[in-house]
Amino acid sequence: MKKWLRLYPAIAIVVWAVIIWCFFQFWYPYHFFYQEQNQIFLWSQDYISTYFEKPGGVATLIGDFLTQFYYYLYVGAIILTLCLHVTGTLLYKALRNFKVSRIVALILALVVMTFVAVCHFSTTYRLSATIAIMGWVLVLWLISVMKGWKYRLLITALALLPAYLLFGIPQVKKIQSPDFVLEKDFAVDCEYYFGNHDKVIKMVEGYNQWTSQMLFFYNLVQAQRGQLPEHLMDFMPTDLGTFYQIGPETPMLTIRNMNELYWVLGDMTFTERAAMMTNVFSRDNRNVRMMRRLAECNIVSGDSLAAEKYLRILDKTLVYSKWADHIRQHGKEIYKDKMQMVNRHDTITISDNAHFLMMQLLDANPHNTVALDYILCSDLLLKDITNFKRDYDRYCIDTDKPRLKSLYQEALCIYLAGTNAPQEDWQRYIQRQDVMRRFMEYNQQRGHPKFKGTYWYYFDKIKAPEI
Amino acid sequence: MKKILDIIVVLLVLVACTPSPENVQKSNELPPIYPDYCDVTIPENIAPLNFLLRANCEAIEVKAGDLTLNASGNEATFDIDDWKALMAKTAGQELNVTVTALIDGRWIEYKTFSWQVVKDKVDPYLTYRLIEPDYEIWNHVQIQQRCVENFDVNALGHYEQLENRCMNCHTYANQNPELSMMYVRGPGGGAILNRNGELSKLNIPGSVYFGFSPSGRYITYSTQKIIPAFHSDPSKRLEVYDATSNVFVADMEAHRVISSPLLSDSLKFETFPTFSPDGKYIYYCAADTVKLPTEIRQLQYSLVRIPFDESTGTIGTQVDTLLTSQSVCHPRISPDGQYILYTVADYGTFPIWHPEADLQMMNLQTGAIDSLAVVNSRKSDTYHSWSSNSRWFVFASKRDDGLYGKPYFCYIDKDGKAHKPFCLPQQYPTFYDNNLKSFNAPEMGKGKVPFDVEDVAKAMKQDHINFK
Repeated sequence: MKKWLRLYPAIAIVVWAVIIWCFFQFWYPYHFFYQEQNQIFLWSQDYISTYFEKPGGVATLIGDFLTQFYYYLYVGAIILTLCLHVTGTLLYKALRNFKVSRIVALILALVVMTFVAVCHFSTTYRLSATIAIMGWVLVLWLISVMKGWKYRLLITALALLPAYLLFGIPQVKKIQSPDFVLEKDFAVDCEYYFGNHDKVIKMVEGYNQWTSQMLFFYNLVQAQRGQLPEHLMDFMPTDLGTFYQIGPETPMLTIRNMNELYWVLGDMTFTERAAMMTNVFSRDNRNVRMMRRLAECNIVSGDSLAAEKYLRILDKTLVYSKWADHIRQHGKEIYKDKMQMVNRHDTITISDNAHFLMMQLLDANPHNTVALDYILCSDLLLKDITNFKRDYDRYCIDTDKPRLKSLYQEALCIYLAGTNAPQEDWQRYIQRQDVMRRFMEYNQQRGHPKFKGTYWYYFDKIKAPEI
Repeated sequence: MKKILDIIVVLLVLVACTPSPENVQKSNELPPIYPDYCDVTIPENIAPLNFLLRANCEAIEVKAGDLTLNASGNEATFDIDDWKALMAKTAGQELNVTVTALIDGRWIEYKTFSWQVVKDKVDPYLTYRLIEPDYEIWNHVQIQQRCVENFDVNALGHYEQLENRCMNCHTYANQNPELSMMYVRGPGGGAILNRNGELSKLNIPGSVYFGFSPSGRYITYSTQKIIPAFHSDPSKRLEVYDATSNVFVADMEAHRVISSPLLSDSLKFETFPTFSPDGKYIYYCAADTVKLPTEIRQLQYSLVRIPFDESTGTIGTQVDTLLTSQSVCHPRISPDGQYILYTVADYGTFPIWHPEADLQMMNLQTGAIDSLAVVNSRKSDTYHSWSSNSRWFVFASKRDDGLYGKPYFCYIDKDGKAHKPFCLPQQYPTFYDNNLKSFNAPEMGKGKVPFDVEDVAKAMKQDHINFK
């Protein structure tokens, strides 16, 4: 019984740590990936020395060092749980040394562990803050092991300044509930980043509520499969990302999405710009995901000096150095297709209007079907049938490459009907007889829910995005 | 894990011993050192030229005159006291430098190169803005002051104290640290004038580029509406042009603006004004207006000048054109009045993103133009300023990666010959590799400016001094 009494606090702390681990591992894992992707840690004396310019450098250094390993499955939750476990155990022991009763010490230790864990619900709460708390709890424990108040006072006096310099003032967050919607956003984003496109589709189709972030990546995957027109109407309101423009108030995640969009479209000028802007708004103006992208897009655009700048930085990471070496050696082969799509016809624009940029890409390379689907689908989302017809003519009819997707045929029916087009135009544009038959059927039951998923239903019943 | 083990092994080796060369093989090639300090001319008061070898080397030995440095790894970092002694001893001489490196278990001695150490000192302080190379949006901008004789850096403007505002262009009056000005942008911002350490906040309408008159009473400045634009060809990236631009003079004592129709011609763009060292002229760049952005390739700025009378504060009535080839930007006259240094680009007014942008130097006595072949690179070389003795100039070059500007110093000897420039040395040779900010608008000063970021933050709380 006595042994049990001695052991149960330790068991309780371990059990609580395991519960925290389970929560973060099974319900909140993508928050770790988000943190990892939006920072960078370099194994370089020059870089590490910058941590000591401010109080709390050691805590930040340890925190950032460990955060880079969040890249690996399970590691984020394990690192956080271990930190919380150490913090809880040290606090419990310190309180016991101060003669606090076992049950009170245990409750306080569990409360602190829980509070710090709750702080990690926020995306802006860094591991370094937890390390700082752990550092201060360590100091408390050191003081507690001293015998007699004189020694304790002496150690307190001696330890305060070094502890401040090493750990700084620990940051905490207001208590908040976990943001599971954001977690799902991160899940879709990360699986896309990891190249698990099937998983992205499966995840989004399995959810019962959708954010623009999820649908942006859903559309991005479908576009790369050449199936954007088939799936544009799947979820409404949807998000193509083509209506955003970067400004001082644009959220970092939106800028990062634009980077992904321009990369897929093949516009390396704007890929690089969005990557640099994401860096600008990342912690310490550094973002390892964008560092990779900057290397990639400069390889694609043929600027090997610029690519090498970023590869050298990635060489100094523990997680991405192999990737950097691989890209250095095989980048031209890996991105061969993208390199052929680069726009070498130079024009100048003052706008980052995606429609204009996609027109430039298509003018330079009519085979860019991703840009073609995005431009046509963007027109259709805005219910801009006139410009849709203009773009369809320019990139499908004039090039003699009609894109006979149901969505486009349905939209062309609207245009032709709305302009009282002659029969030869109908024959020229509407080559899908199944669409023609359904259009006649729709006209008899206009707006009927059984036509959900058709462009006609969207055109009649669903509000277009405001831009 | 392997990398961690490698690092532990390297640390153990470091502690244990630093190997020195044996069974050395000679190479006919110059060492691949970064920054490129091979055969450069340096002033005797410069900080140690620390560098790294771009090779997978286990140890390095550098022999520079009597100084021998042995280090594990690929970085050569000199002790500053040893360096200062070396510089003092070799001032006015050529110093041979031999690099020997342990690569794949073999010692290789590279071809010896030289450092020409000259007694003409460079101004000891350099101010610059640190900003991401994409200038449209900023976050965490700083203006720093670096002592080039060592590695001391302090902030003149720092985002933490200045509400993350945009800041730009700290400019000295004739390299004098007691008189200088910088801008802090945004609501309540303005030009922060430093006069003997006393800071005041001025509201000079629309001021962007500026330069002081020799007496310090006047500044000449340009106002412009700056438009960023984007090239569809990714190799050209960003373009920036002015929708309008004019040149004015501000009287800093009477707080009034002096204008001339010749400097505010609605059919011309006028920009980059600077006083001649005798104060008798304002040099600037002017271009005929064209339809922008479509006709930007026709936007060609000429180098021109207009008289100015400092005693009366009056602008002259005759504009002289000095140069019309290519598009001229950033004219800066050496303090001795001998040379004018400027940038030429194929077109436009923002050479920072033009890889073809090069520096040129005109002898103002003879009109001879030096294309500065030894100075320029295949990437943008621009935004320059002179040292007070007219023997050195600093400029921002993107030669390494085409993206991030770094300060390079170039020596002009008494015969007007330019020598191979060298990059601002850093304490850690890996600094530039890891750095993600451009060194923007580097300016040299004779001494340390007598204010810091806290003083600027206080000055920001003052009321504006308005100009009429």
